[in-house]
Amino acid sequence: MQREVGTLPLAPALRARLAAAGFQTAQELLDTGPCGLSKEIGISREEALEALQVVRQECHGHAARTAGGSGSTRKCTALELLEEEQSQGFIITFCSALDNILGGGVQLTKITEICGAPGVGKTQLCMQLAVDVQIPECFGGVAGEAVFIDTEGSFMVDRVVDIAAACVQHCHLIAEAQQEEDHRKALETFSLENILSHIYYFRCRDYTELLAQVYLLPEFLSEHSKVRLVVIDGIAFPFRHDFEDLSLRTRLLNGLAQQLIIIANDHRSAVVLTNQMTTRIGQSQSTLVPALGESWGHAATVRLIFHWDNSQRLATLYKSPSQKECTVAYLITSHGFRDVQPPAVTPSTGGTELNPRKRPRTEEEKLQ
Amino acid sequence: MDWDQFDLNPKTVAALKKADIKSVKEILNLSGADLQRLMKLPSADIQCLLKTVSHTLRRNSMLTALQLYQDKDNFPSQHQRLSLGCSLLDNLLKGGIPLVGITELAGESSAGKTQIGLQLCLCVQYPHKYGGLESGAVYICTEDVFPSKRLQQLIDQQHKLRADVPAEIIQKIRFGNSIFVEQAADLDTFQQCITRRLSLLLARGMVRLVVIDSMAALFRGEFGPAEAALRARYLQTFGAQLHSLSTRFRTPIVCINQVTDVVSESEAAQCSCRVVGSRVTPALGITWSNQLLMRLMVRRVSLPGHSPGTASHCAGSRRTLSVVFAPHLPPSFCYYTVQLEGVKGTK
Repeated sequence: MQREVGTLPLAPALRARLAAAGFQTAQELLDTGPCGLSKEIGISREEALEALQVVRQECHGHAARTAGGSGSTRKCTALELLEEEQSQGFIITFCSALDNILGGGVQLTKITEICGAPGVGKTQLCMQLAVDVQIPECFGGVAGEAVFIDTEGSFMVDRVVDIAAACVQHCHLIAEAQQEEDHRKALETFSLENILSHIYYFRCRDYTELLAQVYLLPEFLSEHSKVRLVVIDGIAFPFRHDFEDLSLRTRLLNGLAQQLIIIANDHRSAVVLTNQMTTRIGQSQSTLVPALGESWGHAATVRLIFHWDNSQRLATLYKSPSQKECTVAYLITSHGFRDVQPPAVTPSTGGTELNPRKRPRTEEEKLQ
Repeated sequence: MDWDQFDLNPKTVAALKKADIKSVKEILNLSGADLQRLMKLPSADIQCLLKTVSHTLRRNSMLTALQLYQDKDNFPSQHQRLSLGCSLLDNLLKGGIPLVGITELAGESSAGKTQIGLQLCLCVQYPHKYGGLESGAVYICTEDVFPSKRLQQLIDQQHKLRADVPAEIIQKIRFGNSIFVEQAADLDTFQQCITRRLSLLLARGMVRLVVIDSMAALFRGEFGPAEAALRARYLQTFGAQLHSLSTRFRTPIVCINQVTDVVSESEAAQCSCRVVGSRVTPALGITWSNQLLMRLMVRRVSLPGHSPGTASHCAGSRRTLSVVFAPHLPPSFCYYTVQLEGVKGTK
């Protein structure tokens, strides 16, 4: 807020008056208020109000930009970008096969879209991610908070409680096995109540409410700077009825996508969307494709398609800028999203280079 | 729309009135550039306008999951369920039918779907303490005549089914009075029914349950294969209207659906019916499945040999109620029978 008055985007005449009256920083302007300002420099109250709005916008936008580090004036080399991306955290899903094909997990600053038929596990993954984003850094997480925007009413808090309890239990077992001081300290604040209190839940009943909510998200994320995940479950539901004019829908979806990309970048958070599937009737057969049309396909950086193969649930990485297309199987247990088979046991002694997220399996478990 | 009630710059309000913008929805539907052009204001003002109307629309809408979990009184849709009238069936569903959202009950004919629908119409009238919602029900018939004789039988036998409820409470409830039966044999009548009659009954608080028997009958024979898109539009519109009513009035909507045969392997893979060996899938396709919160299936399975102790109509068959998908339930099933007093789960 210490910006000089001369750098604010106000009319030159106004700036001259402000300088003559002795105002030097933006903070002084904001402190004076519209009435005081209009009296001091001899402008109408309306003009003073407008000027203060501009100042507020500038300072707010400036703060957001310095926090995110992006903006039109930033330049950097590709090497810097690579280093930044490699140090970027991932939000794990607890299914290591899925994490591997994603390159580590759900990536921050990117939009990930999950498509699938009803009942295949999209909402389950969203709930799992809303818990996993909060895992402390010493356990391999990003220690963030989550925003959950629900348009279908499928958020059942009892299920989130089960998932969160299982996650806390998992971390406790790792801490017991590895016996490190920072693990114990982190676990003091990583409890069920804590996890639940950092999932911010919004219920949007139609697309107007959803649009309004997304307009308000940047401000919310600036106030809650620890948020590292924004989930919209699902993005298709409010947009698939009520639209005679499909071009309006395309325009609104494009605008939404742009806003979400900016939010993901500015606030260093992952954006996860769930989408429905629809039937596309082809020449000789019909196939299931993600809903909302072809142009929506460009909105997400990473696209996952969940589907069935008899009674096995499969996840296919359909679109990714850096990982290759791949299909893995996953399971949904009472604890949440998991692998189909337990990951291979690394025969390590003495705890060298143990993956902080995994705990060594005991004999009883191996026999199971 | 009274723009003065918003916390807006008088210049913005004047521009809104001049551009003839009448609602918040119109503002949000226009892009930033369009708004600038229409209202002839700079972009900073437009951003301020968008933020202000968004704030007003979404005031006090943030909750934490902890509040949803702990504050059981203010969020009944997270903690309360509509009981099915039998503790075994309720255990399968972890309490019963969720209060908000469309629950589907699909199955072959004579599997027991209408029986469960009728039973729910009676269960909803009990007090909250006994798993009901203390209100009536609307039963929308789309093909058959409403089974009023069977309903009367069920009413007479309620004391036998609900042994957990004291007799004087059962006697006080006038079951027949609170069940509203609607007939809707085609799409237009159904549309009228939902938009007019249903909203009226729900707004007056006279009903807290809607049973639709059945959805598939409305669409059978009406749409040829070339009109798939039109059919999808109808389904989406109905789904959205029902969903909106359910959310506004916190009323469960139970849709009874029929099943069709699975034609090919790929189709079997597409549907989410994981019941092994099942050659049927719920009708109306993925368009309808996308509207549902929860899907239950009832089947009649014939077993080799006779199972003692079950009062099934034909010897050697068992009925199962299974959860196909639900956001809070694992896929599971349980057995049940249809007796004189109603539908009861069996071990």
